[in-house]
Amino acid sequence: MTLLKEIGTELVAMFLGDARLSLTVLSVVAGAAALIRWGGVDPLAAGGLLLVGCLVVLIESVRRSPRPER
Amino acid sequence: MSSWSAAAPAISAAFLASGVEVVEAFTIVLAAATLGGWRRAALGAAAGLVLLAGGIAVLGPLLDRVPIDLLQLVIGILLLLFGMTWLRKASLRAAGVIPLHDEDAVFAAEVAQLEAAARRRRTRFDWVAGMMAFKGVVLEGLEVAFIVIAVGAGRGLLVPASLGALAACALVLVVGAIVHRPLSRVPENTLKFGVGVMLSAFGVFWTGEGLGIAWPGQDFALLAFAALFLGAGFSGSLIARKPSMEIAQ
Repeated sequence: MTLLKEIGTELVAMFLGDARLSLTVLSVVAGAAALIRWGGVDPLAAGGLLLVGCLVVLIESVRRSPRPER
Repeated sequence: MSSWSAAAPAISAAFLASGVEVVEAFTIVLAAATLGGWRRAALGAAAGLVLLAGGIAVLGPLLDRVPIDLLQLVIGILLLLFGMTWLRKASLRAAGVIPLHDEDAVFAAEVAQLEAAARRRRTRFDWVAGMMAFKGVVLEGLEVAFIVIAVGAGRGLLVPASLGALAACALVLVVGAIVHRPLSRVPENTLKFGVGVMLSAFGVFWTGEGLGIAWPGQDFALLAFAALFLGAGFSGSLIARKPSMEIAQ
């Protein structure tokens, strides 16, 4: 049971280690999908937004990380 | 037959990512073997490998039944989450915001944990060592299995990706057997940075393909994505470093 719990924890940590980063990435993907499916946007343009969105999310996520106190 | 341009990124991503994970598993098995003896540690590690191989053998064929678009989309999203988490951590480590992963420190911590566990349970080192090696291999191996499936399944490249992972395992085991101590000189954060870049690039690529996007240049788009994620990782790292430098001045 302990092993199963540890495996579950490991899997969650693999994909949702930083909940805010994960939620933002999922939002970007959902936004790109919605633009293609319902917004009538050219898939390649939505792909560009997906790529740029992920890059911005990454930089922002690193930038807002708490710094250690000195 | 898959073209080299499609297989090379999958093989190299599987090789590098698996290498990082196998180094971590090796440290745990080495700690277990140091206190509990090689026999129990090797048995625990072998049992962990059997469990992982069994899981892959059972679940692997099921992937063929999933529609390719759905498979690409799900794997792409999981790769994005996994890869960007790695890349974020590697950027923060490069910036000095969080400490670098130290295999020697991990080894010392694992040995201390094993001693404490043996004392607490009033049991012999060898059993606890075997369990520790088993858990280490299973938990680190899960990530290797995911990476191999993720970079290989979307385009029928499971075999090349598996070969990349196996090559990494063989390399770590050979080097580990020679030096017989934690592989602390492996530039782990550099590797993690590179792997985070590759997995994130694969993530955008597969997610896009799953959404029906035909990327210009097809597989070569991966290189452009990787270059952009590399730039974003470095930029993030520079930005994260700035405030602490200003405070120091």
